[in-house]
Amino acid sequence: MDPEARKVIELGYGGGERLTMNMGPQHPSAHGVFRAILTLEGETVMAVDAVIGYLHRCHEKLGESLTYTQYPSIASKTDYVAAMTSELAYVRAAEMVGKVEVPRRAQYLRVIVAELQRIASHCLWLGTWCLDMGGALGGGATVFLYCIREREWVLDLFEALVGARLLYGFHQVGGTRYDVPAGWAQKCRETITLIEKRLDEYEDMLERNAFFQARTQGVGTISRELAQSVGISGPLIRGSGVSYDIRRLEPYSSYEDFDFKVPVETAGDCYARYRVRMVEFRESINIVRQALDGLPEGPVSSRPGVKSVGQVRIAKGEGYARVEGARGEVGCYLVSDGSAKPYRMKWRGASFSNLSVLPHILIGCRVADVVAIMGSVDPVFGEVDR
Amino acid sequence: MSGPPHITIAESKHRSGDPEMIMETVNAFIIGFIVLNVIIGMVTYVTLLERKFAARMQSRIGPYRVGPHGLLQPIADALKLMMKEDVVPRAADRSVYNLAPIVFLVPCMLIFATLPFAPGLGIADLNIGILFFLAVSAMEIVGLFMGGWGSNNKYALLSAMRAVNQIISYDLPFIFVALVPVLLAGSLKLSDIAEAQAGLWYAAWFPLGTIAFLFYILATLAAENRVPFDILEAESELIAGFRVEYSGMKFALIQLGEYAHMIATSYLGALLFLGAWAGPGSDGSPWVGALWFTLKAMFVFLVVTWIRWSFVRIRADQILAISWKFLMPAALLLLMATAVVVALQGAPGG
Amino acid sequence: MAKRLGENFWGDFFRLCVAVPRAMKVTLINLFRRPVTVHYPDKTRNYPDRYRGLLALTYDKETGEENCIGCRLCEYICPPQVIKVEMLKAEKRNFAKVFTLELYACEFCELCVQVCPTDAIIMMKSFDMSTADRRELLLDKDRLHQIGLQFEPSWATGNLLRDMQTPPKAPKAEAAEPAARPAAAGPAPKAGGAAE
Repeated sequence: MDPEARKVIELGYGGGERLTMNMGPQHPSAHGVFRAILTLEGETVMAVDAVIGYLHRCHEKLGESLTYTQYPSIASKTDYVAAMTSELAYVRAAEMVGKVEVPRRAQYLRVIVAELQRIASHCLWLGTWCLDMGGALGGGATVFLYCIREREWVLDLFEALVGARLLYGFHQVGGTRYDVPAGWAQKCRETITLIEKRLDEYEDMLERNAFFQARTQGVGTISRELAQSVGISGPLIRGSGVSYDIRRLEPYSSYEDFDFKVPVETAGDCYARYRVRMVEFRESINIVRQALDGLPEGPVSSRPGVKSVGQVRIAKGEGYARVEGARGEVGCYLVSDGSAKPYRMKWRGASFSNLSVLPHILIGCRVADVVAIMGSVDPVFGEVDR
Repeated sequence: MSGPPHITIAESKHRSGDPEMIMETVNAFIIGFIVLNVIIGMVTYVTLLERKFAARMQSRIGPYRVGPHGLLQPIADALKLMMKEDVVPRAADRSVYNLAPIVFLVPCMLIFATLPFAPGLGIADLNIGILFFLAVSAMEIVGLFMGGWGSNNKYALLSAMRAVNQIISYDLPFIFVALVPVLLAGSLKLSDIAEAQAGLWYAAWFPLGTIAFLFYILATLAAENRVPFDILEAESELIAGFRVEYSGMKFALIQLGEYAHMIATSYLGALLFLGAWAGPGSDGSPWVGALWFTLKAMFVFLVVTWIRWSFVRIRADQILAISWKFLMPAALLLLMATAVVVALQGAPGG
Repeated sequence: MAKRLGENFWGDFFRLCVAVPRAMKVTLINLFRRPVTVHYPDKTRNYPDRYRGLLALTYDKETGEENCIGCRLCEYICPPQVIKVEMLKAEKRNFAKVFTLELYACEFCELCVQVCPTDAIIMMKSFDMSTADRRELLLDKDRLHQIGLQFEPSWATGNLLRDMQTPPKAPKAEAAEPAARPAAAGPAPKAGGAAE
């Protein structure tokens, strides 16, 4: 990166000189705890120095100290907004290294909860993004409350399935811990039909709205070359014209059985990423319907229920498993030494890699755009700092 | 004439020291005091109205627990603000920082003096009423900038500079749009404008009157720093804008000034475009007329609130672009078109 | 799908004029919808059967004895290590002499419920235990039993969870009694060993 960009200069308030402004770590739009030291000239950002690590909780060390039965509930706390996909990365890594079979019903259940989680996570993304752009006392708050209202219905579904609303502990090595209760499939269908209708309302409010378009079009453009060279994934790279979706490229957990579109937009700006996520909403609803229709009978786990802490042992080996989380590629690299605990576990957080694109797109934009861009990148700092 | 004193600048014939003038002055103080308190009471309850209205639009209930259905919430808020510690930043420019809320509040309260709430029911129905209103209401910018500068805080300063930019840019189209009813009524006196709408409300005079009303709403949104034009406070970027370093009673004064200005422009809008106190039963008693006037002002306020809670904010440079490239030329054209129509056809209504 | 801004001024202006009332219509519709607020604590919402609330210890339904045998399986599996148990040996069966659970650090992951062989520790369908003093959340055995009697229990117990998760025995092992056991409710097999 340009060494000039990292130099932070403060010379006073006169015109033409630069002003250093700290955005975060306590800031309503920091999306978590994130410190961006912006060097401004007037209202244009000249340099950005990003500081992370405020939410570091030693997940990778915990992964070495906790066994394969204990860690999945902790894994949900990395990307706490999309907890199901975080757990899925870990258990898939363990299953890949230990060559553990997962029954078909468990695979379909995993798909259902992962897609429901994607819907819930995108609801939160849309709400907080509009909140940042529109103000806590204004239209942003309205869209935020509508999105949270819809997200609450999905969380009610999870509550009926698992008992918890945000951090689940639903997956275990070999399958899932819970099976669907009676009446859940019907409730699930009703909920997603309702959410589909509400999506039309959001699009009415936002999409054809010139205020929203003025705020998001042409802002934070990631070119296709930049996207491919920097290592971003998820809706960010799909908004820049690269069709990269792990569910399509390396189907896991029986995703190859489902028929869904992978949305790709070429513009690369915030509006394109917004469109990608809105289409992902609908595709997720589609996938959940297909999975519910085709849910096979059978056990939900290939291993007996956990009765003791050291019950699951994974053979020696190492492997990397990745899933398409709501924010991008969430991966877990596991090195096992044959015991009940991993020897080493490394998380690839989607948001951590996505943040690497910020110095490229924040330079040259205005302060108001910083907020819009941060929202469209949608970082969750549990994943960034782990 | 009966009722409260009806002083206009041109008519005061008394010499100073005259006992009648002292009586009138004392009278005027008392009336002004009463009106000020009524306005402050209304301002606090308007905040509750806005909160409940916004809450219902967001599928929730607003304040509910303090008093029956939240009716005592504004009083609780006022008490809280009065009891808060007044934290002054050490590096703040003391005199500017302390004066700013007052310089902000006083013009916002002063403009209520010119509003005629009903025929005969007004403090000072000047015959340059609307000029006084527009001129004095623009003086709040000074208080705003003093607040931003005196706080010695980068966020506050950034916000204050943006606000000065925005308010100046939007006051001009605001004035042009407000001049349309003046043209139609042929007088700068506010009660004349109200009475000239006896036949037809100017907002209903299609197409120019309706367009003028819509532009008025737009300009109000911008002059009041309401979303989508609220880069001033831009909660998620600048926290509270120029108010960020104020706490306790000074913050209360600034809030008071903001909402008072909001209500005053709503009243002005109702007067200029919606016929002020015209309504069934207003011929009999001025108090019924004042009630209708208030209801119409609340309607304008609710429309502005409805817009505020439906849109995201737009960027500072885009706001200025809208003002200079769109609203200003449009308002000018509107004014010229009105002038042409009035010259050719005569004004609508009596 | 919406076109981009900036292409055509009058087109943009027209679309803005159409878009503004559209957005306001959505807000207006929501103005007349029922609010979704639940007036907690005056009213509570219905918690689902599997709700993971407070933790509690149970008594046996028939004999009235404590279910807990002090085996410490829950202590070992708890990820944040909030449970501390000391076993008390007796003639016919063991008990727990000391059982403390630090509720302020508990993750509510339900793993302790999962491993309990006697369904002693369970979760309740309520979370109503806010206090002003954190020490009240350091639950000892008596308090845990008291919670078990005070609130409504959730569906999940150790055996039910393990039965739900365990795959049924392979058909050829059941050839002798094909119709006697339903497939998903087979008894839990012995504790699984190494997985290869």
